[in-house]
Amino acid sequence: MRTKILFFFVALLTFQLAFSQKQVNGKIMDAKDGSPVIGATIKVVGAKTTTISGADGSFSMKVDNKARRLSISFIGYDEQEVEISNESLNISLVQNISNLNEVVVVGYGTKLRKDITGSVAKVGAKELNNTPVTSFESAIQGRASGVYVQQLNGKLGQGISVRIRGASSVSAGNDPLYVVDGIPVITSDLSSNGAATSPLADININDIESIEILKDASAAAIYGSRASNGVVLITTKKGKLGTSKVEFGYFTGLQKPTGHREFLNAQQYVDFLTQAAYGAAKQDVIYGYYTNLADAIADELDYVNGRFKRYSADNNDWKKAKVNTNWEDQAFQRAPISQYDLNFSGGTEKTKFYASGQYLNQSGILVRNSLKRYSARLNLDHEVNDWLSVGMNMSFARTLNDRVSNDDAFATPLQLVALSPITPLIDPRTGLLSGELDPLTGNPNTNYPVYYNPLISVDNSSYNTLVNRTLGNVYAQVKLVKGLSFRSELGMDQLNQTEDAYYGRLTARNTGVPNGSGFYTSDQLLNINTNNFFQYNLTFKEKHDLDLVAGTSFQNQTSANSEADGENFPSDAYKKLSSAASKTNALSSSTAFSFLSYFARANYKFDGKYLLALSGRYDGSSRFGSSNRYGFFPAGSVGWIMSEEKFLQDSRWINFLKLKASYGLTGNAEIPNFASRGLFSGNGGYGGVAGQRPDQIENPNLKWETTAGADFGFELSTLKNRVELEFDYYTRNTRDLLLNVEIPGTSGFATQFKNIGNLKNKGFEITLNTTNISSHDFRWTSSLNFSKNKNEITNLNGQILGTDVNKAIEGLPLGVFYTKEFAGADPNNGDALYYLNTLKGDGTRDRSTTNDYNLASDVVVGDPNPDFIYGIGNTFSYKGIVLDVLLQGVSGNQIYNDGGQYMSASGSNGFDNQTLDQLNAWKNPGDITMIPEARLFYPNGTDPSSRYISNGSYMRVKAVTLSYTLPASIISRFKISSAKIYARAQNLFTFTKYTGWDPEVNTDWEADNIHLGLDFYSAPQVKTIVFGINLSF
Amino acid sequence: MIQNIKYFEMKQINIKITTLFILFFACLSCNKQLDLKPTQSVDNSQALNTSNDVEAALVGSYRDLIDYDMYGGSIFVCADLLGDNNELEWSGTYQGMTQIYTKSIPIDNQFVSDTWLAGYTAINDVNNVLGALDVVIAEKKDRVEGEAKFIRGSCLFDLVRMFGKAWNDGNPSSNPGVPIVLTATTVITGESQLPRSSVADVYAQAIKDLKDAESLLPAKNGFFANSVAASAMLARIYLQQGDYQNAANSANKAITAAQSNGFSLNTAYADEFPNPTSPGPIANTPEDLFAMQVTTSSGTNVFQEFYSANGRGDIAITDKHLALYETGDDRLNLFYTSGGSTYTGKFENLYGNVHIIRLAEMYLIRAEANFRMGTSVGTDPVNDINKIRNRVNLPDYTANQLTLDKILLERKLELAFEGFTLHDLKRTEGAAGVFNWNDPKLVYPIPQRELRVNANLTQNDGY
Repeated sequence: MRTKILFFFVALLTFQLAFSQKQVNGKIMDAKDGSPVIGATIKVVGAKTTTISGADGSFSMKVDNKARRLSISFIGYDEQEVEISNESLNISLVQNISNLNEVVVVGYGTKLRKDITGSVAKVGAKELNNTPVTSFESAIQGRASGVYVQQLNGKLGQGISVRIRGASSVSAGNDPLYVVDGIPVITSDLSSNGAATSPLADININDIESIEILKDASAAAIYGSRASNGVVLITTKKGKLGTSKVEFGYFTGLQKPTGHREFLNAQQYVDFLTQAAYGAAKQDVIYGYYTNLADAIADELDYVNGRFKRYSADNNDWKKAKVNTNWEDQAFQRAPISQYDLNFSGGTEKTKFYASGQYLNQSGILVRNSLKRYSARLNLDHEVNDWLSVGMNMSFARTLNDRVSNDDAFATPLQLVALSPITPLIDPRTGLLSGELDPLTGNPNTNYPVYYNPLISVDNSSYNTLVNRTLGNVYAQVKLVKGLSFRSELGMDQLNQTEDAYYGRLTARNTGVPNGSGFYTSDQLLNINTNNFFQYNLTFKEKHDLDLVAGTSFQNQTSANSEADGENFPSDAYKKLSSAASKTNALSSSTAFSFLSYFARANYKFDGKYLLALSGRYDGSSRFGSSNRYGFFPAGSVGWIMSEEKFLQDSRWINFLKLKASYGLTGNAEIPNFASRGLFSGNGGYGGVAGQRPDQIENPNLKWETTAGADFGFELSTLKNRVELEFDYYTRNTRDLLLNVEIPGTSGFATQFKNIGNLKNKGFEITLNTTNISSHDFRWTSSLNFSKNKNEITNLNGQILGTDVNKAIEGLPLGVFYTKEFAGADPNNGDALYYLNTLKGDGTRDRSTTNDYNLASDVVVGDPNPDFIYGIGNTFSYKGIVLDVLLQGVSGNQIYNDGGQYMSASGSNGFDNQTLDQLNAWKNPGDITMIPEARLFYPNGTDPSSRYISNGSYMRVKAVTLSYTLPASIISRFKISSAKIYARAQNLFTFTKYTGWDPEVNTDWEADNIHLGLDFYSAPQVKTIVFGINLSF
Repeated sequence: MIQNIKYFEMKQINIKITTLFILFFACLSCNKQLDLKPTQSVDNSQALNTSNDVEAALVGSYRDLIDYDMYGGSIFVCADLLGDNNELEWSGTYQGMTQIYTKSIPIDNQFVSDTWLAGYTAINDVNNVLGALDVVIAEKKDRVEGEAKFIRGSCLFDLVRMFGKAWNDGNPSSNPGVPIVLTATTVITGESQLPRSSVADVYAQAIKDLKDAESLLPAKNGFFANSVAASAMLARIYLQQGDYQNAANSANKAITAAQSNGFSLNTAYADEFPNPTSPGPIANTPEDLFAMQVTTSSGTNVFQEFYSANGRGDIAITDKHLALYETGDDRLNLFYTSGGSTYTGKFENLYGNVHIIRLAEMYLIRAEANFRMGTSVGTDPVNDINKIRNRVNLPDYTANQLTLDKILLERKLELAFEGFTLHDLKRTEGAAGVFNWNDPKLVYPIPQRELRVNANLTQNDGY
């Protein structure tokens, strides 16, 4: 009863007070450019009254007569208090210089940056939005320390390698775990043409609010057995409280290759191969095929001239170099790119929404390469009542990629450079593309031009990869008691891919099939994930802050795959397998894996300055042997915010200083789904009779690869927060390497998965953000990140792994180029020479040379891993004009030109066109040159060696954006709340000593953990310039 | 107070929800979720439990035998390139083959290491079969064992003549051959590092396996190995050893059995090398004692890939070779030209079977062995040679005209490009340019990858 009376009085009082209110109006603007700040919270100091600024930044509210001050806050801006006056308030908010208070997404929760004890890098929407690239990994390149992003080549939608603090594994996966809105997503490569594609290219970059990269064990260990390579958390945009808004974006532009390579012209080609014929004739005598040099020369010249005539379309134009075709030019096409975005967002106290749609239409720089992506998203959050909130994040994407062959195929556009410059583009005998028609047979030519002409594939083949992707989750969050809540998430990632390929009659020389062939593949992947966890926040006795998370997670991914092949089509008008007279192959398969996990984390903060975090995950997986199915991955970290201590609190110099240290274990489970079992496979059919055969040798003890990571660092903010410095030193020691070890071939198996060996990464990272100038109109900020990582394999049980020049060897970084050291041409006879490099008794190496390749010892001749990587960003803003420039670089790595054996081969590979440097080939005794004598079809120095190693360092002007935000005075007339026009360039300039197409390269058909830094007719990267507009209503 | 009431109600609901989630948790906790099984493979323990299982594993052995680097044909194409004396014109882009063609093979040559792996994979397959013979039903047991031993014996013979010194080069009892593996490998231990057995021991094991096969197998066995093929393979081995007595006997045995079981020389030489207008599988001809089956979904014909202008067309034929034929030789008609180069038309069908043993070879072996010994096992040598010559429209030799050189030339032309060059060069002690028959460069190196993982292996001379 007494309560009721009290309630009555309180109500009455409130009622009375309502009478003594006054109206306050105002407008909130960005201090920098005067653009309206939408959705800022305006709160009366000392009262509960709040409101939100509208689409034009204005607000209006009734406040108590006694109210004196308003507090205005908005994410990304410094909080500000203003005096209430009777006039309309014009409030300018200043953007936050410091990011210490920014919210950072961590596994199963968020934290303020200043309270983080682990190592987490964040790239926000501002950096990502409107990047004219296909996949978001390209957009984070150079923007975060410790994150080495490498795009393999310039084909669309291709695999992109991302290494966080170095590679932790030799045979298991080295890619980070990707988690979108709390749910691990499908990243499996589903390409069937030997060049990986990235399923991450299905994500609309403009939907991303932030990307957090969990780098150290303490941040990542909550993801347990899959966290060794770091975790990339992608958070999509949510609606914000305030007036609903509509945003429209559009950009369009052109793309070009970043570089090119120099090849011989027609005259040089004829001269050089004639020279190679003389060289070959000498060998004919040495080999004993001829006794008389003159006879050998006559025969070789006869042979070479016959070939010239053939490649010159059976005429003598070659003699006067009448035709001089630049085949490299033909590999590229005009490549426009455009993108349309439309999104709606908004929210009330109870419901917030974000809905978006995007259409990306991109042509590749290589002929016949194009990509179209349609995507849509709806993110919805709703508070059902004051203890239950529910929501969903749901996206759909449809990606159509018209792809080209892998780098190793004759049909891949850039292999055009192998064709002879004396070969005309159009065969004068037929008026058709060279190679399309042999007038003698009525069929495509079988040996003209020198190889299959990839241009024939442009109009006569298709390879369409279509992906339909539904990615999303629903959640419910329940507040149980004060501070304690329970969250349940159910996520689904459904990826359906089809590949539809047809190779027409004119491609017969490439496919070997005269009457057309085709295939169709289908992959259906379903990834289901549930997370159920409790979150508990407690502050007691004022000084103790406790934040607990505990829960369970289950993931199951199934994959069903099928393929059908057919040959013999009635004509090229029929391209579907229904029309194939012979169905040559059909297969279907399925596979699955599952993870069952329990996790917990405790964060404790004492007195606002002492931080402690403990986490652990207990993971089980179907991938591991029955005797080692579960693993435990704990981590701990401590932090000390020194600047909160008395002795620093009043320091004028130090605004913030935190020391931190962490240690923990993470795992790597990225191996084939059933690697532990001894298996027979049913694919042993022969001659139409069913059969089975041994497929894999057993290892029941197979278990996780474990990485123990330690991190020490500090964060410092000084000069009124104008300089922020972050430093981390780390070591990551991986043990029980999941190795696909070579075993004696006499066992009937080539390799076996075993837990053998150790490797370590250590390095440091520096991030420096500065505000150089911040005046009313002009602002200049810089950000620099620098990362140095040293990778070393410490134990492989004495094995050397790797099939090509890249090797995994104890004591050396993963993937070093380990082969013979080339010593140039023998001045006496032009033979390729190699340093013996045999170890002598005194530990030195024998530096004498030999022409017998097998006698020379393999040594380290290069390293594809950079010594350091860096990014330098500068942003200048003057009123509404913003110029943003990002430089990105990689230093200290080498590239091995695996195509050198063909294109820089002293003519050893016959009639392939050669790179310009081959003109320096040895000719006469006494010549000192690094190019051995040209000898047609006699390999002279083409075996793997340091001959094909080059410096791979580069620095790029990665991204340049010049934008102008139109002043409100102009746009308000058109009912537009904000308008921005911009020009943006990607990969604008590249500074490098590399003479190939582009130093950012790793050939797609070979790329794996060990095969790094290889160039093989790989498409260069893409230089893009676009012009765009963003409108907001 | 009001607040408290609300919390109370909420708790009620929460208890229900929490119960639901706990149930959910419990369900998740089932470890069963982690017991996923592969769908295209079965565990070893499930693989060889019935007669049908073992027969299927035997079929799978042929699938591995027809591997690209084994009887798919690269082992034969490479042998012809390695033994070539300017009769082939190699212009391909596979560096591994260029190295073989120029007799400068680095020890990490991919073709070399893949052939080793492919050979032992097939051997391990049949060792699995032989180890599970107990479950094979009685009436099939002999056939299964015979086929398995045919494959093992043939593989050992083909491996030892590529990786070991020629039989006639020094002492085969001390020359290292290749490791002999007679049981299936299911675990890798130190004992998996097998040493090389002597050339003589490997030959002996191959002969033992093939003799077993010869006695266990039926003469007709579809396209699978039969007793005639076993006799024929024995004849080939004996000839390689210069054991002409046994070579003549085995060849004679093969010819006799062939005649009574439906095998015969094709009427025309070209019939042995069918070239349908549209590529497709074609059944063995009556002349094929043993051929690897290529279909659109299994097996490859490596000969087609390299010799046909419609394949890669990497190997053209030089005038030097063409000059060896007599005028009117029907075999000349199989050659064709394209873009100024001459190609053999023996391997035009993309899905053509890979000929391993043709009956014609048996007549040539019997003729040569009889001629060398001065015997007439089966018939006089001149009759066998004339049988081969007549088919290609060449006139008879008289017995007096016949010489060893003529027999060897006839053999060379009849079996050209089918993988005999290197091995005939070695047993007849000839030369390929400056490379004498016993030059170490004419022997494959032991692959670098094998040396790395097997401390008990030794490298060949010259590498």
